[in-house]
Amino acid sequence: MKKSILLNFIFVFALVVQAFAQGRTVTGTVTDQATGQGLPGVSIQVKGTTTGTATDIDGNFSVSVPAENSTLIFRAIGYRSVERAVGSSSTVDVVLSVNAEQLSEVVVTAQGIERDERSLGYATQTVQGDAISQRSEPNVLNALQGKVAGVNITGASGAPGASTNINIRGITSFNGSNQPLIVVDGIIFSNDVDNSQNTLFGSQPSNRLADINPESIESINILKGPAASVLYGSRASAGVIVITTKSGRGMKGKTEVTFNSSVNFQNIAYLPEFQNEYGQGTQNNYVNNSTNSWGPRFGTPGFDNVTTIWGESVPYRAYPDNIKDFYQTGKFLMNSLNIAGGDEKNNFSTALSSTLQEGVIRESGFDRHSVQVGGNSALNNGIKVGGTVSYVKTSQKGATMGNGGSAFGQITRVPRSFNLTGMDYKDVNGNSIYFLPSQNHPLWSLENEFFESNVDRVFGNLSVGYDFADWLNVTYRVTADTYADTRRQVLRIGAARAPEGQIDEDLRTRAELNGDLMITARKSDIFTEGLSATLLLGQNINQRTFKQSGVISESLVIPGFDNVSNGSIFTSSYESNTKRRLLGHYGQLSLDYRSYLFLELSARVDKSSTLPAGSNAYFYPSAAVSFVPTEAFNIQSDILSYAKVRGNIARVGRDADPYLLQSVFTQSTFGNNLASVTFPLSVGGGSIPGFQIGTRIGSNQLKPEFVTSYEGGFNLGFFNNRVGVDFTYFNTTSTNQIFNVAISNASGYDTRTTNIGEMRNRGIELQLSGTPIRTGDFEWDIMVNFTRIRNKVISIAEGVENSTITGDSFIGIAPSIAVGYPYGVVIGTANARNENGDLLVNPTTGGFMPGVAGKVISNPQKDYTVGINNSFSYKGFNLSALFDINKGGQIYSFSQVDMRSAGHVAETAVDRDQPRILPGVIANSDGTYRPNNIQVSAQTFWAGLGGLASEAAVFDATSYRLREVALSYALPESLLSRTPFGGISLGVSGRNLLMYAPGFPSDPEINTQGAGNIQGMDMNGVPTTKNYGINLRVTF
Amino acid sequence: MKFSLIKKNIVIGVTLALSASLVSCNDFLDINETPNNPTAVPPSTLLPTGLVGSAFANANELNRFTSAIMSVTAGVAGSPVDYDRYNTDGADFGNQWRFEIYGGALVNYEQLIQAAEEINSPAYTGIAKIMKAYTFAIATDVWGDVPYSEALQGAEIPQPSLDSQRDIYLGNEAEGIQSLFDLVREGLADLELASAASPGNDDLVYGGEMDKWKRAGNTLLLKLAMQISQVEPTVARDVINSVIQANNYIVANDQNLSVKFGGQIGSQNPIHTYTNISSFRTDQMMSTRFVNLLKGLNDPRLDAFVTKPSGDYVTIDNGFGGTAPTPATRSMFGTYITGEDGSAPVRLLTNWQRAFILAEAAIRLGTAGDPQALYAEGIRASMSSVGISDANIDAYFAANPTVVTLAGTDAQKIEQIITQKYISMTGNGLEQWNDWRRTGYPTLAPHQNAVGIDGTRPVRAQYIDQEVARNPSFPNNVYSNVPVWWDVN
Repeated sequence: MKKSILLNFIFVFALVVQAFAQGRTVTGTVTDQATGQGLPGVSIQVKGTTTGTATDIDGNFSVSVPAENSTLIFRAIGYRSVERAVGSSSTVDVVLSVNAEQLSEVVVTAQGIERDERSLGYATQTVQGDAISQRSEPNVLNALQGKVAGVNITGASGAPGASTNINIRGITSFNGSNQPLIVVDGIIFSNDVDNSQNTLFGSQPSNRLADINPESIESINILKGPAASVLYGSRASAGVIVITTKSGRGMKGKTEVTFNSSVNFQNIAYLPEFQNEYGQGTQNNYVNNSTNSWGPRFGTPGFDNVTTIWGESVPYRAYPDNIKDFYQTGKFLMNSLNIAGGDEKNNFSTALSSTLQEGVIRESGFDRHSVQVGGNSALNNGIKVGGTVSYVKTSQKGATMGNGGSAFGQITRVPRSFNLTGMDYKDVNGNSIYFLPSQNHPLWSLENEFFESNVDRVFGNLSVGYDFADWLNVTYRVTADTYADTRRQVLRIGAARAPEGQIDEDLRTRAELNGDLMITARKSDIFTEGLSATLLLGQNINQRTFKQSGVISESLVIPGFDNVSNGSIFTSSYESNTKRRLLGHYGQLSLDYRSYLFLELSARVDKSSTLPAGSNAYFYPSAAVSFVPTEAFNIQSDILSYAKVRGNIARVGRDADPYLLQSVFTQSTFGNNLASVTFPLSVGGGSIPGFQIGTRIGSNQLKPEFVTSYEGGFNLGFFNNRVGVDFTYFNTTSTNQIFNVAISNASGYDTRTTNIGEMRNRGIELQLSGTPIRTGDFEWDIMVNFTRIRNKVISIAEGVENSTITGDSFIGIAPSIAVGYPYGVVIGTANARNENGDLLVNPTTGGFMPGVAGKVISNPQKDYTVGINNSFSYKGFNLSALFDINKGGQIYSFSQVDMRSAGHVAETAVDRDQPRILPGVIANSDGTYRPNNIQVSAQTFWAGLGGLASEAAVFDATSYRLREVALSYALPESLLSRTPFGGISLGVSGRNLLMYAPGFPSDPEINTQGAGNIQGMDMNGVPTTKNYGINLRVTF
Repeated sequence: MKFSLIKKNIVIGVTLALSASLVSCNDFLDINETPNNPTAVPPSTLLPTGLVGSAFANANELNRFTSAIMSVTAGVAGSPVDYDRYNTDGADFGNQWRFEIYGGALVNYEQLIQAAEEINSPAYTGIAKIMKAYTFAIATDVWGDVPYSEALQGAEIPQPSLDSQRDIYLGNEAEGIQSLFDLVREGLADLELASAASPGNDDLVYGGEMDKWKRAGNTLLLKLAMQISQVEPTVARDVINSVIQANNYIVANDQNLSVKFGGQIGSQNPIHTYTNISSFRTDQMMSTRFVNLLKGLNDPRLDAFVTKPSGDYVTIDNGFGGTAPTPATRSMFGTYITGEDGSAPVRLLTNWQRAFILAEAAIRLGTAGDPQALYAEGIRASMSSVGISDANIDAYFAANPTVVTLAGTDAQKIEQIITQKYISMTGNGLEQWNDWRRTGYPTLAPHQNAVGIDGTRPVRAQYIDQEVARNPSFPNNVYSNVPVWWDVN
């Protein structure tokens, strides 16, 4: 089948290609202007004909030309094209110079293959290192926000090291990871979060890409669709981010030392507007253990002073900054040193970096230190060797979050009259002093309930290649990435969640090994002149292991001794191991006809350990076409400088997670944070073990799931490419999803694993670039990117209209898939309404009637996103400002409902003494409705809108934001000529400086569940921050 | 050329390596057996799981709900305040349904039956069937019509339909529904068979004393019969008579079906953990009404049921909306309910409960036995269990003849019986609520600030939202003011 497609293709080409005319032969050499060395692979075309050839490895060529008046066109990627009249000479030597504007057109694609942008039949986008470095942002993903079309990036919070979610072209898997595959210098790089928190309690660990220092990055290429990523196999169905770190390749024989340094500050941003008129209490009474601000108005006679729950008389007044002052100014220092040298063939690089961050939350921080060495060498015997190895140590310390018993569960429940930061929060014994005896002062919680993560990570690669012939290369590459994350969650004695104290010492190790054999054959002028072909055959052996083991030490004895030996109960300790392997074989045939017509056929067969033996192999192909009319028709216009149309069709298969085939038993536990037991049970002096059947039913009939994608698009360049348009439309369909489908709990189980369903993503990506002004030293560039993705769950399983997404959920608030809705909608209780959509009001209470369960109440998917970057350069100055719009999408916010129903926020103080009426109607006995006319107090009204688990907790997450501003100044070379410095630049940068969210009282760009499939949840998390920094770059 | 020979060899070598990897890849990939969890476990690990599940179903959130609406406890904050004001909806009790009842006790009894049958151990299947019936009764008593005959079938029936409460209690041959009575009888029959393996310490109730399980099974028949005595008096009478005739039911406090707990974190009675340990412990305290009821009767059990850390009882009224007393002074559930360190058992079926059932049955259904003697037996058994000496019980009886003597009409006598049953069942709100719904006793005044659906005390729980969302068999919005089938009073 594949062979016949290939033959057809060749046949069509043969028809197109005219028989070439007889003539004489011209020979010559093409050399690089900079190095003087011969340039291989330069395309040579006889102008006005389809005749042509390409240079050999030394830059020599030989071409037949018609007898007279021939002109040769010399083209090479990254060089300016040259036309040369042959005249009567039989030798033509040409020197090509580098075309700086075109250099970025070389794209690193799947498996590290460098390709000419024009040859690609799919959309990719490149972000250069300087667009993410020195941006007052230690996390690479955050630094990418707003800069790439088709990509959705959301940070979890402003807590240091908090994870960041990234999805490319929407969500394609119901259950699997939808985070793109990350490849750093060819190394498959774990970006796992290894979330250890449950829905309502825990901390926010990092996504592990945070182990990469943004300053070390040369470029980032985003392979968006399955066609682009098919060679990476199963795991690339969510797209690929190919990161290339700085190396010595481009140093042209020099050695350069670069030093980057920045000092940055962070402040908590966009807290809601609070009221300062009413204090602690309910229904206008002062109540000293109330979490509400529904007490008397300040200044009410008799309420000059009030008595706290611990018996102290304190003034009854507002503390306008009590929440703001809970946070501190965060700081982070980023320093890095890169030394790189060599040339294209032999080069080396080393890098050292250090990031030290103190968070906006007291006691929190994120530190990262890394060292990297690498190099490449082409030996005289023709063998090429290259490799890198890096070590990173990352430490994170964070606060506990979540509803109720945590610092952030309490911070939304602090009355306006509570002097949160101006009082002693602990007594002489170190116990919390707070108005709620069963909870702790949030500052006490920050000090005594914390999470630490210490990651030691090593990753590296080694590749050995050999050119068996000038057309045949065989390379073997081994990559490894491993880390150990030693975590510890400490809840000291007195913690609300564990009054007797608890220490969870949790060791996680992850390792991935890949071995790739790649055989590459290149041939020019096969079958016909001007047709060159590249055939890649590859094999991939992959193993991934993850181990987690932990000791949970409970009933601590000695206060402040944070060691598991301090406990007396260890029954909750645990261990979990996973191992998966995959064997893949792949091939790719790339055909290039005269640099204007390209076809790429790829296929891969994977065999996975996670699928049932006997049906664990699966095949998937892709085809991509690209056509460059401006080249084909040799259009030389000042208006239309470049045009390319492209299209592809691709399919990617994907295996299951390990161990889904069987139903298993687990150690028994019952209960939650209200009351719980864990087996083995200690009863009457004996220890009684207990096991229970797991909540998931396994299936030994699993098959791989597939994503099928169609993509089309075009690139246009106008006015000598001063204006560029890049448009892509895509349509992906995910089928046969491996999913833990929710089943009725009355079945005895919660889910069953099976292949089900269909989901579609359709989207538009548009990038516009322009240079409105380019005069002398001044240049103004605009980059706009626009993304609109429509995701829809087409079907789930027979009789199943919705199902909970695997992961943490809170009963009554279930992030779900639901037929006809986008992925990740929250199913919860909607307000009761009549057939006209009017809210139904209870005639006895004036509150809403009981809600209707099982309704879609929140949709986190954005309507569209826009990023607009303006950059201005004048002499050494460079100013860039990135503005972005995230339109639509909803956020489910406990925090805002807490603050609203408790009367803390400004809107609840407006006309508080006036009675109010909830909007809605009351049912008459005859089936008609009358408008609600029952007056309720302001407190009843705001509480009556709905509590945590209700439609009232859903907010529009639209935001308009000045995402990033960076100003830098490079000292002129004339100043530096007598110094050892090659360059010095100084800069200032700021992030998240202005934000407007019309539908949300705070910044909606948060997600307490962190990176993963559950998005749009704010279950008492940390707000976002504004960052500012100054930075310095020096090169020697 | 020599060099090309090397090349050729390398090419051949690579090809061989490739094909070798293909051949051996089946072993290479055969690593998908989970090392983390067992795929089969012995009955001895499933029995305690089921028993603790049933105990949690009874004594955890459902007890907080029912104790509040039964005016035993009062709400200070959070969900107890909602309950206290009769507010409950489909967002409540999801964990109970999912993790304690169907996905907790019941599915593991089902697993236990399968595992025990494989090793020919009817001692385990008998206990499992009796406890399955007990736990299904909790489900239907709380929610009315629930999945029963189609439940617990896993992927076979992912969306089981509901059986009517009548069919669950009485069975329906046409529909293939086994009655709860027959399920218990099947369990009792199993207990008569020889068993290869028998429980020991894993039996958190009787430590493997199978004769006591037989008594428990028969006593469960009495409880189930009494529950339907107003709608199906004939069935109830027949069941009770046959149990009395067989004469093998709980007659002593040490025969109580009580699930044991331990005194360490992670092993404790859930009422203790909630009342004394959790961060929600200040959300609930004892009701003034309950304390006043016992004070009015001079009841010596009050100190065991209710704490008084400040030396006197500090309580609030049900539905109270003002400032609650300082937590350290509040009256809470006492050590009889919680245990000194959390090791109090969860008492699912007791000697005094049996005595009160038989007393009521003698009056209501005319079954054998002297109502007065059974009534007094119930009070004595409860007081004895609380730790009151026989002499002090005698003294109480002597000093309070109107309390301990049935008098008046049958209805008045039943009110006396149920009121004493209510007191004796403190800490088992579910059974208090079951009796109150069935009989209307004890007479409870409305709570302050009551809201609910129509201002009345809930008479069922609304189906949990998650089931409604997952299973189209469930009707939406059957509110908490709709009585269940056996609730005709």
